[in-house]
Amino acid sequence: MPGTAFCIAAVLVQYHFGLAPALTVMLAGLGLADYLFVPPYVTIAVFDRADLLLLVSYPVVTLVLITLLEKLRRVQFRAELIAAVAQSRYEMLLRHDNERAIARRAIDETHRLLRHLSHHHKTFILIQALEREPLRRNGAGTASALAVASHAFAGLPADLAPGPRLSEVDPDDIRRLSNGLSAGSHRVRFAAGSNLAGGTARVVDCICEQFTTHAGDFLVLRVATDT
Amino acid sequence: MKSLTQSIFLEGGGHAVLLLHGLSSSPLEMRYLGRFLRDEGFTVCAPVLNGYSAGTGGETMEHWLDAATSEFDALAARFDRVSICGLSMGAALALALAHRRPQAQAVVLLSLTLAYNGWAIPWYRFLLGWAYYTPLRSRWQYRESEPYGLRNEALRAKIARSMQRSNFSEVGPSTIALPALHEASRLASLVRSQIRGIRNDCLVIHAIDDETSSPRTAQSAALALGSTFLRTIYLDDSYHMITSDNEREIVARETASFLRESEAASGSGEPRSPVVSKALARRLRQLAAIGKDDA
Repeated sequence: MPGTAFCIAAVLVQYHFGLAPALTVMLAGLGLADYLFVPPYVTIAVFDRADLLLLVSYPVVTLVLITLLEKLRRVQFRAELIAAVAQSRYEMLLRHDNERAIARRAIDETHRLLRHLSHHHKTFILIQALEREPLRRNGAGTASALAVASHAFAGLPADLAPGPRLSEVDPDDIRRLSNGLSAGSHRVRFAAGSNLAGGTARVVDCICEQFTTHAGDFLVLRVATDT
Repeated sequence: MKSLTQSIFLEGGGHAVLLLHGLSSSPLEMRYLGRFLRDEGFTVCAPVLNGYSAGTGGETMEHWLDAATSEFDALAARFDRVSICGLSMGAALALALAHRRPQAQAVVLLSLTLAYNGWAIPWYRFLLGWAYYTPLRSRWQYRESEPYGLRNEALRAKIARSMQRSNFSEVGPSTIALPALHEASRLASLVRSQIRGIRNDCLVIHAIDDETSSPRTAQSAALALGSTFLRTIYLDDSYHMITSDNEREIVARETASFLRESEAASGSGEPRSPVVSKALARRLRQLAAIGKDDA
C-alpha cells in the first residue's frame, strides 16, 4: 500500500501530539503518497484506479487507527485523573488519620495526668502550664486557669499552681523552679521546721514529669518518694 | 443586585485571607469558605473589586489587579500574615497578585481558569476573541447555561430559578459581557508569563469534571509554579464551582489545613503537627523521593 509509511507517521503523531496534528499529517500524506508512490510517479494530473484505491483505503485505515488511538488516549487521561483523585483522597485520609492519632495521644496523656494527680497528689510541690503562645489563646488557656490557683500563693508566677507541699519548700528554691523548671530529677531544699525535715533544712529528691494533653502541656513537680 | 454585591469581612486571628471571587461575580460564591475559615481562626476578606465584580462597570484587568492589590495592602497593614485565595478567574487574579506581592503567605487556587477549555465550552468559543473587535463588543453577552458549574442537581435547579428571576445568583451572573471576557483572556496571558516566578506556598484544588476549565490547566500550572510547598488536590464529585458544590466541605477543610501548615512551615505560627501516623510518614518519604528524582 503506497500510504503505509504516512499511515504509520500519522499514528505516531497522534500518539505523541494529538488528533489535530495527526489529521494534518494524514492529509499531507495523502497528497505526498499520491504524488510519489502511485504510478505515474511525480504527477497528480492523472487519476486512475490506483489513485482511487489510495484515496479510499489510506484515509479509511488511517482514520480508524487514529480514532481508536484517540479514544484510548482519552480513556487513559480519564484513568490518570481518577488515579489523581484517589491519590488526593489517600493523602487527605493520611493527614486526618495523623490528626486523629495526635488527638488520641493527647487523650492518653490526659488520662495519665489524671492518674498521676490521683496517685501522687499529696506529694505535689507545684504544677506549671507550658503555653506556646499564651496571648493567642485570648487568656482562656491553661496558664490563666492556673493563675487563679496561684493567687493563693504570693509571689508565684501566673503559670504556676501550688501543690500541698509547696509551703514547705525553701523560698529561694521556689524562685529557682519558677524561672526554669524542666522535666527530670531535681533536688529541692525543704525549709527548717517542716515536718519533712524534722526541724532542720534538708535536701529532698524530687521528680518533674511533662504531660502533653489536649488542654496544653503541663510540668508536674513532686517529691520522689512519699516521706 | 446591590445587596448581593457587598464585601464580606469576618474578623478572626492574625492570619488574614483575601478571597477573590470569579469573573463578574460576587463575594457570595466565597461565603461558605469564608465562614469556615473564620471559624478556624482566620480573618477573612472577600471584597467587591471595582470593574471586576458584578454590577461595578467594566474596567481593564490592570484596574482589577490594582483594586486587588490595594485590598491586599490594607490587610497587610493590619495583620501579620496575608494569604490569597481565588476561585476560577479569581485564581488567575490571585496568581497575578502573588507575583506583585511576593510577601503573601500562601496562594490557594480553586478551579484555576487560564483558558475556557472545559467540556461544556462550545467549540466556537475561540470566535469570541475576534468578536471583541467587532460591533458585537457592546451588544453581545456570554450567557451562562446548565450546569452552571454545579454537579449538585438540587442546587443547580435553585440557581436556575434564581437566574431566571434576577439574572444573578450566588454562583455568579447569568451573563458576562464580552469586554470582561477579553480582559480575562489578557489576565490569563499575563499570568502564564509570570507563573514560573511565583514561589509562595501554593494549594491547587481542581475538579476533574470541571466544565469550564480543563484539569489540564491545573496540571500545567502545578508543573510551572516555582513553589517549594505545593499541594494539588483533585475532586471527582464537583464541577467548576467547587466552593458551592458537593465537595465544598472538603475544599474548605483542606484550605484551612493548608494555610495552617504554611504558617507553621514558615515558622511564624503554631508549631507544625508532629507526624504520628506511620503511613503518612511513609507517604511523605515517597513524595520527598519523587521530588528528588524530579530535581
